[in-house]
Amino acid sequence: MDPDRELVEAAAGGSRDAFDELVRRHQVAIVALARALMSGRGDPEDAAQEVFVRAWKSLRSFRGDSTFRTWLHRVAINVVRTSQARQGRLTKMFTGFREDAPEPPSAEAPVDQTLARRQVIERALGTLPDDLRVAVTLRDMQGLDYREIASLLDVPIGTVESRIFRARQRLKPLLAPLFRTGQ
Amino acid sequence: MTEDDRDQDLVAATLASAPPPEVSPAFLARVNARIDADDQNGWFGVLDFRAWTLRLAPIAAAIAIVALLWPDNAISRTSSPTPVATVTTAADTFTPSLEDDWQQDVSGNALLEAALDGGSNVR
Repeated sequence: MDPDRELVEAAAGGSRDAFDELVRRHQVAIVALARALMSGRGDPEDAAQEVFVRAWKSLRSFRGDSTFRTWLHRVAINVVRTSQARQGRLTKMFTGFREDAPEPPSAEAPVDQTLARRQVIERALGTLPDDLRVAVTLRDMQGLDYREIASLLDVPIGTVESRIFRARQRLKPLLAPLFRTGQ
Repeated sequence: MTEDDRDQDLVAATLASAPPPEVSPAFLARVNARIDADDQNGWFGVLDFRAWTLRLAPIAAAIAIVALLWPDNAISRTSSPTPVATVTTAADTFTPSLEDDWQQDVSGNALLEAALDGGSNVR
């Protein structure tokens, strides 16, 4: 049972109040997803706003085959991919260089532990190929189950399991400092 | 549980414990502003040349490719929509495809005779 069903029906019927409530419920998760997928490239809040704008426009086409949360994640993945592709083209056009990695930390990097921890995780995720990063983010950070992820990415469950396994293997040495802190 | 399993669990737990992002208090207001801006565009949005440029670019590219690859002899081909009755003339049956037909030492009278014969002497 989709906990958002009633709100989705009301929003699809034109209720902005219902849609506002959906945004409040899912904004943190979508911004977190955008941050993880973009790994320092671009503005994740801007991308997340675009996700909800697109969701509003295409809400009538949401048939309820999945939960609203899963559908919103699909929209988010498409928005981020489009944004990254556009950014990659602009970068090539104006600099001639391909931006393969996020920018290194500046001398004024925050010392706040929470921010530092988040940065370590985001940078580690940024080293992964897109397919592995998306899968492990959806599973371990967004809490989607394997079936949902497989449906969202339109791949077999076995593929999802394999991607997540390989992603975690690659992340282990990069996240090891966080293991030792025990946080 | 193997060491690999423990490592998998450690990574999963670390990712799951990632601090949630701080979402700006104006996030919802900005979403609504963007939705309202898109709604106000209305017909102006339809006339947005940038959107149409992006939408039509693939079609324009396909037309350009077809035009570049179109064979030259196809341009001069004409086709009549309805069948037209044709009169077979000597010229229709005269097929100077053989080298002998273009012999330089053939007299003009011989050529004329061949043409008037309706191709009966044509090899």
